[in-house]
Amino acid sequence: MSGSLRRTKAIAHKEVLHMIRDARVLYLALGLPVIMLLLFGYGISMDVDHIPIAVVDQDHTEASRRLVEKLVAGENFVVVARRDSADETTPLLRRGTVTAVVVIPAHYQRDLARHDPTSAQLLVDGSDSIVASIALGDAVGSLETLTPAAPEPPPLIARFNPAMRSAYNFVPGVIAVILAMVSSLLTGLTVAREWERGSMEQLFATPVRRSEIILGKLIPYAVLGMLQTLLIVTLGSWLFDVPIRGSLALLFGASALFLCAMLGIGLAVSVITKSQLVSVQVALLVTMLPTTLLSGFMFPIANMPWILRVLSSLLPGRYYMTALRGVFLKGNGVDVLAPQLVALAVFSALVLGLGIAKFKRRLS
Amino acid sequence: MKPAISVRGLERKFGKFVAVRDVSFEVRAGEIFGYLGANGAGKSTTIRMLCGLLAATAGEAEVAGVDVLRHPADARRAIGYMSQRFSLYLDLTVHENLAFFGGAYGLFGAAFRARRDEVASELGLGALGAEITGSLPGGLRQRLALACAILHMPRVVFLDEPTAGVDPEARRTFWRIIRRLARGGSTIFVTTHYMDEAEYCDRVGLMVDGRLAALDTPTGLKRTFAPGRMFEVRGARAKEVAAALPSATVEPFGAALHVRPNDAQVGADELARVLDARGVAQSGVTETDVTLEDVFLRVVGGAGAS
Repeated sequence: MSGSLRRTKAIAHKEVLHMIRDARVLYLALGLPVIMLLLFGYGISMDVDHIPIAVVDQDHTEASRRLVEKLVAGENFVVVARRDSADETTPLLRRGTVTAVVVIPAHYQRDLARHDPTSAQLLVDGSDSIVASIALGDAVGSLETLTPAAPEPPPLIARFNPAMRSAYNFVPGVIAVILAMVSSLLTGLTVAREWERGSMEQLFATPVRRSEIILGKLIPYAVLGMLQTLLIVTLGSWLFDVPIRGSLALLFGASALFLCAMLGIGLAVSVITKSQLVSVQVALLVTMLPTTLLSGFMFPIANMPWILRVLSSLLPGRYYMTALRGVFLKGNGVDVLAPQLVALAVFSALVLGLGIAKFKRRLS
Repeated sequence: MKPAISVRGLERKFGKFVAVRDVSFEVRAGEIFGYLGANGAGKSTTIRMLCGLLAATAGEAEVAGVDVLRHPADARRAIGYMSQRFSLYLDLTVHENLAFFGGAYGLFGAAFRARRDEVASELGLGALGAEITGSLPGGLRQRLALACAILHMPRVVFLDEPTAGVDPEARRTFWRIIRRLARGGSTIFVTTHYMDEAEYCDRVGLMVDGRLAALDTPTGLKRTFAPGRMFEVRGARAKEVAAALPSATVEPFGAALHVRPNDAQVGADELARVLDARGVAQSGVTETDVTLEDVFLRVVGGAGAS
């Protein structure tokens, strides 16, 4: 073993000891991914059902009853109140007792039979726009088949996710967010800590080279990151039935590239700021936040204003999200994902280079 | 024999501030060289340049035969450095810290373990291998830091205020270890602001405002800057004593005054009589040893006046 390898190993070994001794690291690294996965999976699911509704039936006929039955049949809606007029339901909407109100006008059945223009009305609580739009969509879906006159709607099939399960979206998303946060945060902390405690000065007095310090610090966190990926992939696909249709090797390869990019950001930030507090804040700002908001995980990139679309195209998180979805759900191979892999590699090389260049051996 | 450290015209500026100006000296191999000065006098800046951690603005410096300003990497193996702030890893055990610094200096295997045990027992850390460093008292931490700095058997050891914040008993132990190291052939360059510690050094350099104001053995410094006899005068006011004895040196020293008459023949009783005769109230005069603190006060006063 050469001297350089031995020195790198000494640093890596020391980093592993820091990790093991610090309960916060283990919590961040292994506890947080599980918590996030469970939160997204069971807590903040995007699959909205059992929406409470109020019914205002002014017709009291078979047709009106059939309409309500049809609405609740899919378990998307539950009738929790009945009132005689639409006005009386306003307090219910205000208090949030119901999210939507169905108003069926008088003579509904008669007008329907005569083919006169008539329609039931759906009032939705628009203050929660996500639930409102889901309620609207569900209601339209349930009611479309009621009108015999309407032509049969074209069948909708969501390829790669026919049941439109949100787990298919959040499992890859959580992987990206966790890797972004934990790897940049932890490397940021570990380098800045040495500056703050003065041990960096002591390190510089030894024959250890800059590249050895950086490699020795990155390797343990890269391994930790791969373990996290393994944890989330295993847990995610087991708990939430998310298929992995592409190759696992490609999944981990893309993850390794993304990890390098995130570790590089953490390193660069901490080398430049030399303060744990500042580097945590900057690291979260430039890794976790954009990976959550601009990678296409939470919000579609196509709907963003152009400036955010440009910003998003500079983010490694976006390419990683595309690669993850491609491998998980579409079974894409390197042939399709080559541009994403190249983008991730280029980004990693840039930030790691920046970190090393800014890492001055001399004190100032 | 070539000097272990040789410095010529060393200078370091931070912007407009000159932290170290035109410093020149040589340190013999095996010497304990004390670097004395107030905080901010340029001690740490000098030591950092000599360890290759900080670039110099001007001048030359050779450590263990290597031009440390131009080729800092080549000097590192020959240098042991203990920085001013305690900078070991508190969450690691004593053995883990030693193993890390051993690895950083390229030591390994049986040779490393033998050296580690040797240094640990020499420094009284033998039984503490499994202790978490953060749980050790200050004196032991300093000894561990020294152990980490000398694992690789450096020819020159730089210690930057190694005993700051350590209790007197631990300081004494620490200095016993330093003297033993020097007897073993290591050159020791140590900064301190404890005057009593400077007495242990073979030679002492006095830093004042970035300049090396004086450099000699402790005895030589005393002879040059505080010749004659020194008296301690208690219960008197410095201004009154100075007015009564215009030719004497008067410095406040703790709660008392240190008074050094120009005339070396004057005794304590005579001095007391003179003070009484000139109407200066005092509660006692005794002869005392000249200390480096007297020298330091004299040198700082002189440099401030010039």
